[in-house]
Amino acid sequence: MAYVQLQGVSKAFDDVTVIPALDLEIADTEFVVLVGPSGCGKTTTLRMIAGLEAASGGVIKIGERAVTDLRPGLRNCAMVFQNYALYPHMTVADNIGYGMKVRRMPKEEIAGRIAEAARILGLEPYLDRRPKQLSGGQRQRVAIGRAIVRQPDVFLFDEPLSNLDAKLRIEMRTEIKNLHRRLNSTMVYVTHDQVEAMTMADRVVVMNEGRIEQAADPITLYERPANTFVAAFIGAPSMNFVPATVIAKGEGLALRLDDGSELGIPRERWDRYGAHKDRPVTFGLRPEHNAGGAEGEAVITMTARAIEPLGPHTLLIGEAAGRGYTAQVDSHFPAAPDQQVPISLDMTKMHVFDPENGRAL
Amino acid sequence: MMKRPLVFGLCLFWALVTLFPLYWTFVTSLKPPTAVNGGPTYIPYVDFMPTLQAYIDAFSGIRGDFINPFINSALIAVSATALSVTFGTMAAYALVRFEFRIRLGSGLIFAAVAIGGFLLFNETFGFSRAQAMGLAFLAALPACLIANRLPLPGPVLGNKDVLFWFVSQRMFPPIVTAFALFLLYSEIGKEGFKLLDSYLGMVLCYTAFSIPIVVWLMRDFLATLPVEIEEAALVDDVPRMRIFFEIVVPMARPGLIATSLITLAFIWNEFLFSLLLTTSNWQTLPILLAGQNSYRGDEWWAISVAAMFGIAPMIVVAMLLAKLMRSGLTLGGIR
Repeated sequence: MAYVQLQGVSKAFDDVTVIPALDLEIADTEFVVLVGPSGCGKTTTLRMIAGLEAASGGVIKIGERAVTDLRPGLRNCAMVFQNYALYPHMTVADNIGYGMKVRRMPKEEIAGRIAEAARILGLEPYLDRRPKQLSGGQRQRVAIGRAIVRQPDVFLFDEPLSNLDAKLRIEMRTEIKNLHRRLNSTMVYVTHDQVEAMTMADRVVVMNEGRIEQAADPITLYERPANTFVAAFIGAPSMNFVPATVIAKGEGLALRLDDGSELGIPRERWDRYGAHKDRPVTFGLRPEHNAGGAEGEAVITMTARAIEPLGPHTLLIGEAAGRGYTAQVDSHFPAAPDQQVPISLDMTKMHVFDPENGRAL
Repeated sequence: MMKRPLVFGLCLFWALVTLFPLYWTFVTSLKPPTAVNGGPTYIPYVDFMPTLQAYIDAFSGIRGDFINPFINSALIAVSATALSVTFGTMAAYALVRFEFRIRLGSGLIFAAVAIGGFLLFNETFGFSRAQAMGLAFLAALPACLIANRLPLPGPVLGNKDVLFWFVSQRMFPPIVTAFALFLLYSEIGKEGFKLLDSYLGMVLCYTAFSIPIVVWLMRDFLATLPVEIEEAALVDDVPRMRIFFEIVVPMARPGLIATSLITLAFIWNEFLFSLLLTTSNWQTLPILLAGQNSYRGDEWWAISVAAMFGIAPMIVVAMLLAKLMRSGLTLGGIR
């Protein structure tokens, strides 16, 4: 078991830099999820840790060892791939045991480890089957079994659940999380699904265009996103962003939106935003921090274009203050398409970003 | 619905067209001389009384030795196929999975050192031609390998160019190389290493000429295999060679069988090299067949027997391998 350290690791394909110098430390036994839109460099980062992709610069350490120039086999990582990558001509038992056989481990120990992995993953009835005869979930379990018996320093998962159907994905999510608790080992997990990232990770690393936008535990990411990218990426439906100006109002501060409506800023934030008085900012508020009706202190008028009842609550999708706006309201809130409705905002949950560089203020 | 019988009818018709020469050869081999010379006869027992006389003649050796060329052909074809499929598949795998960068300059240096070295060793130092050739090659190989590491000017060739180079070996007519090969073999023979009319010489020659086809066919096939399976093995510290033999080769089985079949048929049928490079000891079946009608005139029943010797093994092999291939196709990758 070991920590993973990336110091100034970069990657360029010919002349195209996909990852500028990147620093990341993953603590021992930590479950870190790399998440971001496709092409953000998360898979490349994982493959550089595994050694399947050579780093163009920087140092990668696993434990105390600098592994930057080691071939993949010597890094003592185990990797689980999106499309399972099982050996099609081998049985489940042979798939799990192949690496150990190549490393000339004693037969009894191989058999013991296969049995142990099969027990943990519930694969005992399938040990003599070929991958072709298994369902997607079972195949991915075999791939995980192959990783477990390696007893690696680090587990690497490359979108392992993306090929599974929604129900199975939720089951496997819990299973991998339990596995992490049980094996108590370092895991790096890549996904583009922010729900997967939030639910599984000790720490989520949000990546965009090869850079780390923010690395923090799920609740911090949700409550205190470092910039508009993270704010928009984490949480579903996505956060609303409205241009606004910080103005003085009475003895405190308020936000004035483009449509003239003024929203009072809570007292505890006055110090924080005081320096930005009379400057343009981007006001952000998550859909779930809205309520239907004009009962609150901060109220805006929203034109609902689409109404999506989800059961526990209903989403109103439309415009407010000239921008696209989504509000989560009570299921029984009366609204019809193209109707103007009052929405109360919970300003204690507000976010303010610099409109120039998107950073949280 | 109206289409199906029509398509079936056309297929049937075409099957008859392709099968008829086979049938014709087979029935002719059973005919007595009178049934051949007296105009066309088609159906045994109706048009003529079939006889095994032509086969008995063939085995008794009246019309030349069939057994030795048959064994020669089989030995040479099987060995050369095994070698070319093994090495060709390895080359194809390398072209699919590794990136090669070859400077055109280093290729030119190879040519210059090889030709210049040959002249130098042969004319100035007085080595024999074969010795000069060997020495020049030994000098040219390290020279171009070192040159490739230097920042030479000129274009850098990639995998596509290497593949094209392989395939280009089969673009010109074989006769172009056949004479050069004959001279090469006879020069090496003068040094006491017999390649003309020998098992080794024929196997080497056919291996060299089959490898381009194997590389070309197997490259396309190997490119379809999912790379993640090999990456999983790499992460698991499986050496490349074991990945190739224990993971890639089993996954590539259908492609390997199809490629082997094509290569085997090519070598089995090959005429020109055998004609030039063999005389008596290692003569192959096609040469014998071609010589049949000059032996005792147009004795079609006997020629048909000889042709049957040539055709039958290929049909058996094709059926066996096709069966293997079908069972292999159901394996495939796991997506």
